[in-house]
Amino acid sequence: MNPVTGYAATISSVDMVAPALRRFVLSCTKGTFPAISPGSHGIFAFGNEHRIWKNAYSIVNRSEDGKTLEIIVRRAEPSRGGSDFLYRHGKPGLNVSVISISNLFPIFRTGRRHLMISAGIGITPFLSYMTEMQKSGMDYALHHYTRPEETSAFKAILSPYDQSRIRVNEGRQNAVSSLSMLLEREPITSHLYVCGPDSFMEWVRQTAAEAGYVTAKVHSERFVSPAGGRVFEVRLARSGKTITVGTDETLLEALENAGIAAPCLCRGGACGMCRVAVIDGRPDHRDHVLTADERDGGNVILTCVSRSLSPTLTLDL
Amino acid sequence: MSIDTTFRSAGSYRAPYLLENSDAAILRFPFPFPEDTYMYSMNIEPHVKAGEVDSLRRTFDVDEHYVVECQEKARILSEDPKRCIVLPHMQKAEWDFIELAMNSLSEDYPDLFHLSRDGMRWHWINRPLNIDQHFVFGDAGTLPYAPFEFMARQMQGDFTLQDQRDNDLWMDGGMVTSQADWSLKFDLGMSFKQWHAPVPKAGEMGIFDRGLRFLLMLQHGMPVRRLNWTMTINPRLDTSPENFTIWGRDRTVVTDDNAKDLVHLRVELQTLFRLPRSNAILFAVRCYLLPLRDIALVHKWRIRLHRVLRDLDPALSAYKGLDLYRAHAVHYLSQFDNNELTSKGISPDQDIIVHM
Ligand code: FES
Repeated sequence: MNPVTGYAATISSVDMVAPALRRFVLSCTKGTFPAISPGSHGIFAFGNEHRIWKNAYSIVNRSEDGKTLEIIVRRAEPSRGGSDFLYRHGKPGLNVSVISISNLFPIFRTGRRHLMISAGIGITPFLSYMTEMQKSGMDYALHHYTRPEETSAFKAILSPYDQSRIRVNEGRQNAVSSLSMLLEREPITSHLYVCGPDSFMEWVRQTAAEAGYVTAKVHSERFVSPAGGRVFEVRLARSGKTITVGTDETLLEALENAGIAAPCLCRGGACGMCRVAVIDGRPDHRDHVLTADERDGGNVILTCVSRSLSPTLTLDL
Repeated sequence: MSIDTTFRSAGSYRAPYLLENSDAAILRFPFPFPEDTYMYSMNIEPHVKAGEVDSLRRTFDVDEHYVVECQEKARILSEDPKRCIVLPHMQKAEWDFIELAMNSLSEDYPDLFHLSRDGMRWHWINRPLNIDQHFVFGDAGTLPYAPFEFMARQMQGDFTLQDQRDNDLWMDGGMVTSQADWSLKFDLGMSFKQWHAPVPKAGEMGIFDRGLRFLLMLQHGMPVRRLNWTMTINPRLDTSPENFTIWGRDRTVVTDDNAKDLVHLRVELQTLFRLPRSNAILFAVRCYLLPLRDIALVHKWRIRLHRVLRDLDPALSAYKGLDLYRAHAVHYLSQFDNNELTSKGISPDQDIIVHM
């Protein structure tokens, strides 16, 4: 694996799960993918000569021999780019590299029972959960919510798993009362996992709170997108270069693409290694490292996550 | 190391003590001070196969003390089996550890260790310890010990396994036989913040919040390392709280004259790995001991250590338990410090040792 570009892979098969859902199998070009813990997501890079996207998707499965990974992608608004591109142009042979794999939604292994609640494409992390829970004999149940027109697609996706532990609910009509009843019946020791659209997760969290769940037992998945924000320009005081940071690339990536050796380690705003001095402009701090004083001072920026509030930022690089 | 390099067959990490370091072992010591002053910091860097001294250049370092250290470990475990505990939910992490250790040892030291894999059927050979083991990966019944214990017995240093839950890390397993005054029995099941609570100043500096956030994001395939240090009287690996009555009083017998033989710089090469199946974090602590008389053989190090110890923050000196003998160590080292400038970094800046 190359620490910057990750694992090189290509799409080896595409499966139309439903009109708006595609399942992709990715084959590692050289060697194997690492073992993967349930709930992991990858950052996948793909595109064409005009544009490269880097999107996060849950990893649904990794083959025993480690040669392939599976993801399921829903077509999103064309303006969102990446998923729409994959949906249309994700054919066998397309290069897709797996830049990194991490797990922000792990199974709570000390839990006695696990209740998973998902809506739509939010099912994906739970497919890997169930494989593992089945194997290691954990106690679990899955309640999935879907639009009526996709019921059969999700039933097909779920068919390899233990049907006695799965319920697929159509629409949200009866959902409200069924969910509170379900939660009230659960033993107090159960852990609750939620994945789906923001509004769905909020609804489940609220219903759970009303049913007396402590927040520590309610886990939800939110992707930390590695990019996002307005376009801005960066002037590099030492080299005299000017570069543009696009909407869905990070400042660090833009620097790297311009061939500038920028320091970094975690790429997630946690270590402080990518700190660079700001000479002019107002940084938009999104890290977890800088102190309140450093933020207010505006003289430093962590390039891996932070962006700019002003149209131009001048850096000491 | 290759099979031609001889491992030491004699050595004793308890009284009567005997620890000898070859010139090569001295020059590859991970001297922990890149500057003339020391303050607690996160000082984390990627654990890549490169570094200013040779001991940093392998995933798990094996040196001339390997065989004797593994024997000492086995002895401690037979006296106190509770030095190795792994909670039941960490089973996947145990196999992750086996895979990481066997893969990297056989890759870094092909003369010493050999692994062949045929699907789930694995064959492991450890030549220095005479182990030849066929087993089925994932089936604990095919190994003579639980997987984690089987492997950790064949490696120098301590290992703990951290489960990641609730945005925190929980020490839910480990084998700890060469620790600097902490105890697995006591810390087992603790969270990251709980087990770091005793370090002075670092908490108020926000270092642990940052450290924890950083570790929560640690990725598979991108391990990190840091060096930590303290001092130990006599070459004693096992300075555990349980044995304090044995080693604690040693600290009172140091004098200006015997400091060079009794006082050892104790360096921990700490490495952290994300384990892929379990999402747990492996924390490996490899301990190196070097007496002041050996440090005095390296021109740059003896000057720097003098300055660091002389100017050490009193709170850190107390925390590290150096107060009873620090002055004697400083007195011994002061004869070498002629106020010259030293170079940055930890490299010894010399290829050979001249014995006077
Ligand atoms: S690379 Fe770690 S904070 Fe930016």
